[in-house]
Amino acid sequence: MEFKDCHDQTPAPDLTWKQLRQMGWRSLFLQASFNYERMQAAGWLYSILPGLRHIHQNKKDLSKAMKDHLEFFNTHPFLVTFIMGIILAMEQRKEDREAIRGIKIATMGPLGGIGDALFYLTLLPITAGIGASLAIEGNFLGPFIFLISFNIIHFGVRFGLMNYGYKMGVKAIAKIKEGTKQITRAASIVGLTVVGGLIATYVAFNVNYVWKSGEAKLNIQTDVLDQIMPAMLPLAYTLLMYWLLKKGRSPLTLIGITLVIGLIGSYFKIL
Amino acid sequence: MLMEAVLIALWAGIIGIDLYNGLTHIHRPVVTGLVVGLILGDVTTGLIVGGTLELIWMGMVPLAGAQPPNVVIGGTIGTAFGIIAGQDPNIAVGVAVPFAVAMQGLVTLMFTAFAPVMHKADQFALQANVKGIDRINYLGLSIHFVFNALIAFLPIYFGAEQARIYVQQIPQWIIDGFSIAGGIMPAIGFAMLLKIMMKWEYVMFFIIGFVLAAYLKMPILAIALIGLAIAMYDFYQNKNRKGSNLTGEEEMADGI
Repeated sequence: MEFKDCHDQTPAPDLTWKQLRQMGWRSLFLQASFNYERMQAAGWLYSILPGLRHIHQNKKDLSKAMKDHLEFFNTHPFLVTFIMGIILAMEQRKEDREAIRGIKIATMGPLGGIGDALFYLTLLPITAGIGASLAIEGNFLGPFIFLISFNIIHFGVRFGLMNYGYKMGVKAIAKIKEGTKQITRAASIVGLTVVGGLIATYVAFNVNYVWKSGEAKLNIQTDVLDQIMPAMLPLAYTLLMYWLLKKGRSPLTLIGITLVIGLIGSYFKIL
Repeated sequence: MLMEAVLIALWAGIIGIDLYNGLTHIHRPVVTGLVVGLILGDVTTGLIVGGTLELIWMGMVPLAGAQPPNVVIGGTIGTAFGIIAGQDPNIAVGVAVPFAVAMQGLVTLMFTAFAPVMHKADQFALQANVKGIDRINYLGLSIHFVFNALIAFLPIYFGAEQARIYVQQIPQWIIDGFSIAGGIMPAIGFAMLLKIMMKWEYVMFFIIGFVLAAYLKMPILAIALIGLAIAMYDFYQNKNRKGSNLTGEEEMADGI
């Protein structure tokens, strides 16, 4: 006997290519409702919503899934379809909600880094560089060459990954016969390892203050804080936020506090 | 000038959406140069200024979620100013930069202001209200459009040179403060994840991930792979242990 969260636990019929394609298009709006509390969460839910509706005929199950997919989410907007494919395959098999969350978190971070390297540091400089060099000579074909070459790859990757992720997800889940509990545990392990890394990598919190006394200079960030522990402030601040959330403070309050810290830090030139 | 300013504003609205949604990259200055050139009747200058801005601002991409100076507003105002004033592209860049930076601050504010809407989204999720979630996202898109169109319209209609003087009166510390806060903001999102996922038995993996990134400067993919290796080890260890436990019980049963 395995514990499952869904009211209706029978696996849903496969999604059609047409449905996958439709969700691929919707993924273009991933950041329509971007905000600092949940980042891409509502756009992510918007993207997979047709699939969730198809999968969860039971209204209670649909509501539960929707609520889960409104949790904080942020990944690379070009590669998101890969995660969508895998997650939809898991939803379809009515996997444990915690396992679905774990896989979502475990994949979103690495894909962010890969996407940056692939699209912003490679594809864009090459295609835009060619387009711009033509445009500077007054050649009107420059912008078109840029747009066409960039988007062939962009849309190819977007829709290709949607199908690939889904197929892979369906196959992988069929193979795993172990209980959902072990899968949930494995997914949570990867997820939390990644979150630990994300905090050190993506939270930018540095003290920009040099203490001077006569000849002596002391850079608070590099000479003091980094010596104690690198990325100490990002970790401390995240844990502080975590503690405040546990105390029942709303994320909105935390966003407000952060904004004020940024402004004060900037005014006194310490951050 | 009104007609031209309105057309440029419409273009800015559309590419303001494209900057975050769609991402066909029609928002890059090299494309804006052509379009603004067409609107203002000087395609060649438009292309040259757009191409120059493109090469200078090649690095202005949202790497790791950081907000770079805004290429939508910088690109439209820069090209328009370059064509209208007949200036050297490099001077157009100088005019465009303060707008691009100020817009970056405003975008940070907009991303902050949209956070309360998420609570409405939570309610829609509770009611399984699919249409409501759709509407929230369409609202976001509309705000992007109006916001960018308006900001592009004002300086072009009233003169970019004049507007630049106003923009430069915004104290630098306010704009810097927004950008600092924007850099810290992901901490809140990660804290929310921790609140949902963290259990005592998982704290060790969180520590490993942090140490790998903070001390060893490993990329996230490498960290995920290490996490995966640990998870697989854990998975098979548990499986074997359970397996041996079972046989152990059987043996006992046999013995009795």
